[in-house]
Amino acid sequence: MMGDVRALPARRKVGYTLEAPFYTDPEILKLDLDLIFGRHWIFVGVEPEIAEPGDCLTVDIGPHAIVVTRDDDMALNAFHNVCRHRGARLIEERHSNVGRVVCPYHQWTYGLDGALLFAGHMPKGFDKSCHGLKTVHVRSLAGLIFVCLADEPPADFAAMEQAMTPYLAPHDIAHCKVAHSEDIIEPGNWKLTMENNRECYHCSGAHPELTKSIFAEGFGFKPVGAAAEASAARFHALVDTLHGEWENIGVASREIDHLADCVTGYRTERLPLEDAGESETLDTRVACRKLLGGLTQKRLGALSFWTQPNSWHHFMSDHIVTFAVFPITAETALLRTTWLVHQDAVEGIDYEKDNLIAVWHATNAQDSSLVGKASDGVRTSGYQPGPYSPDTEGLVEKFCVWYVDRLKAGLAA
Amino acid sequence: MSDAAIFSVTFSLSGRVVSCGADEVVLDAALAAGMKIPFTCREGLCGTCKCKLVSGEVDMKHQGGIRPKEIAAGKFLPCCSKPLSDLVIEK
Repeated sequence: MMGDVRALPARRKVGYTLEAPFYTDPEILKLDLDLIFGRHWIFVGVEPEIAEPGDCLTVDIGPHAIVVTRDDDMALNAFHNVCRHRGARLIEERHSNVGRVVCPYHQWTYGLDGALLFAGHMPKGFDKSCHGLKTVHVRSLAGLIFVCLADEPPADFAAMEQAMTPYLAPHDIAHCKVAHSEDIIEPGNWKLTMENNRECYHCSGAHPELTKSIFAEGFGFKPVGAAAEASAARFHALVDTLHGEWENIGVASREIDHLADCVTGYRTERLPLEDAGESETLDTRVACRKLLGGLTQKRLGALSFWTQPNSWHHFMSDHIVTFAVFPITAETALLRTTWLVHQDAVEGIDYEKDNLIAVWHATNAQDSSLVGKASDGVRTSGYQPGPYSPDTEGLVEKFCVWYVDRLKAGLAA
Repeated sequence: MSDAAIFSVTFSLSGRVVSCGADEVVLDAALAAGMKIPFTCREGLCGTCKCKLVSGEVDMKHQGGIRPKEIAAGKFLPCCSKPLSDLVIEK
């Protein structure tokens, strides 16, 4: 019952996983699509996907069909991907390049700024200016594209942009190219995918490829036992040393955490990597010889950037991996992973795609399997919310706190 | 009365050949000869009539219905293009 579902956020038990309906109930999914995905800044893609005038990027988020365009002045615009005439979907492909946005049904023709320019056979007095495409807010954060469907988007995007630009700018996203993109249908609610991303409790057991380069301690994992504590001490000493070195060369690195205390929640930190320390690859060395932007140092670890509700990103000296999650049904979600290298890097010469994507291709598959296991369990009669580890799952708790707070705010409005 | 030059326009797929005056847009000449070319706006906006120009030159006055890279690839809009020579169109 709708009434029951709307009462659930207020009774969420702090420090525990969410109640089953949050992962299974289509009525909760409707709330998520309205109050979470409909009212916050949602990461949808990267500027290199729409680098040229006329380039279009479409993304579907539940009932929201969106197209982001690059106009002839190089500005980004975003609209509902639906004709103002008979409601036909305007652009089918995920990526396209157009002169104008032309409806395939009756050729109503819109500019890349959404203005209706031509509508044949309409009567005298028909006001084209009242039938432009419905706009969606769009912002680029140093090349990461976010949209917001709300009439009044959260104003604190500007604060995130100001804080994050020194971290992202050295990687020069705008002058990257997409080397590979992978879509996975996750066999679970979108929040299970996000929660899985927000801890590395599971990493040592599940991710043999990823743990060749990353330290689990960088993701809120606090090990227990003498050997593990020694390893953690070594890690934190390394973090302090490298943060100093990196910030001295203008590469912002220190932790910022607003995962649970901002409407536009985010967290960042540049984390050391194991061994050669260069990249999230099987041999911990750069996968691409041509480094990003004006970077000259390979050993820059990996900048992690997490945004609520739907993205995370890893920025290294040689490549970038971005992850976006979109709900599909109450019990499925789309995970879209995009690998970026310098726009001048040549496959087969500067990088081998198999090597570039090996770690996250394997890790995604492992995570997807874990999401499926969680989904299989939370829908059964035996499930009851379980406790998060304060040592290792603090960031998952922050995801849940943010999510429940934003649901409550939306329900109260 | 115009005494402008008359050019021949050959549609390579259908084999039709029509005449088109130098002051006439290619779409109008084709329609007048009974050719069926999809079109809508007739002012270079919507791109519905976009065709491949196999050979010849036109004076095209479009309004954004075709992108520079499409023009570079040999496409044109017959609705807003006057012939500057005999033409061969892939249609």
